[in-house]
Amino acid sequence: MSLMTMIIKMSEGLSKTCAIFFLTLLFSLPLGMIVALLRMSKVKIVSAVTRFIITVLRGTPLMLQLLAVTYGPYYLFGANVARNKLIPVVIAFSINYAAYFAEIYRGGIESIPVGQYEAAEVLGYTKVQTFMRIILPQVIKRIMPSVTNEVVTLVKDTSMAFTVSYQEMFTIGKQIANSQTSFMPFLVAGAFYYIFNVIVDWVMGRIEKRLDYYR
Amino acid sequence: MEENRKNTAEAAKASSILEIRSLQKSFGEHSVLKDISLSVDRGNVISIIGPSGSGKSTLLRCASFLETADGGDILYDGQYAVRDGAYASRAELNRFRTRFGLVFQNFNLFPHYSVLRNVSEPAIIHGENKENARDRARELLKKMGLDGKENAYPFQLSGGQQQRVAIARALALNPEVLYFDEPTSALDPELTGEVLKVIRQLAEDKMTMVVVTHEMPFARAVSNHVIFMDGGVIVEEGHPEAVFGSPVQERTKQFLRNYQQ
Repeated sequence: MSLMTMIIKMSEGLSKTCAIFFLTLLFSLPLGMIVALLRMSKVKIVSAVTRFIITVLRGTPLMLQLLAVTYGPYYLFGANVARNKLIPVVIAFSINYAAYFAEIYRGGIESIPVGQYEAAEVLGYTKVQTFMRIILPQVIKRIMPSVTNEVVTLVKDTSMAFTVSYQEMFTIGKQIANSQTSFMPFLVAGAFYYIFNVIVDWVMGRIEKRLDYYR
Repeated sequence: MEENRKNTAEAAKASSILEIRSLQKSFGEHSVLKDISLSVDRGNVISIIGPSGSGKSTLLRCASFLETADGGDILYDGQYAVRDGAYASRAELNRFRTRFGLVFQNFNLFPHYSVLRNVSEPAIIHGENKENARDRARELLKKMGLDGKENAYPFQLSGGQQQRVAIARALALNPEVLYFDEPTSALDPELTGEVLKVIRQLAEDKMTMVVVTHEMPFARAVSNHVIFMDGGVIVEEGHPEAVFGSPVQERTKQFLRNYQQ
């Protein structure tokens, strides 16, 4: 098989790689905020339970979580394994990344000086207005570098979908590598991820720059 | 109903915008305010002086509801915001909040907002029309000597300029009384003057103010009434010339002597 054929075959899986990537961000970024707020809840039991869930999600392999979400329903209830694996894959990724984003958000929120809340309170901002207008914009700026880190990791983590045989780029590459006994598909995959991340870096850099107007 | 009538009756005769009666506040075991009473009449400037840890900032923070008092009364314009340690409803407290403004030691401007937005947004939040709020903000900034700075961001300003923006912001909601919590303590010495100058100017305009400060000459020159606090109690109070010129209490004399050195 020529290199060109490999590239073409593997790029057919790229749309699925992108689907995992974008859908995971779409769900995990807001979900992470909900988790962060629950984690910081003043109700002890809520924050304790949330904290426990976060440690499980961060303390066990993503690969295991992928297998659990994809095949768990079959072993537990005899339910059919989803025909479209994108659904369990995105669910597992979103939950896992939400746990990481939640901790980043929490760190960001806790780093905002208490004086910002007090000024807003005295000026008559409601709790929601204070969070949405005063706190959140400053949090976003502060956490951008950490979020960029996670997003770059996510690009590479999409390859983990091969464990449940979801036909994304890396899974196809691995199949070609097996059938052709060639290492070339892995090099192609590496190049794809690298280019993907160069773009991610550029986009995140643009966003950081746009938030650069204040300190 | 009875309560209401009583409140209205007291409001009619109230010349004090703020009245505090036997206020108490502890942090854990540590009693910070022990039975503090004071009243602030319209048009007056009251300075609160005293060593750090004397409770003067806590007193202001209780008056602005940032700290919750354990006991005593807080009345605005004769109406109870706090009665015997029990707070009015959240909605009522919000109404009381519009009566005062607070200027913090370290400004607490919103760093992601321009100067103009810092000053105008609170009014817009309260339902004021955008253009009016901005016009009013520009007017206040001009009064603070900050014309031309409206599009700057706080980090681009000196500490003195930032504090003047904060004063403009506190004035934007037309408070009846303005609180200052050590407004110059975070400033380089050469910048305190410009902030004290605008406070002095506000005093000339008959703005009612309560100023917690370490600037003794300022307190002596600008206020009508000086309160010296120590250990959570008011040790001595009165006309600035009396308190500064011929203090009666030993503790006051000692404090002022230390200051002169």
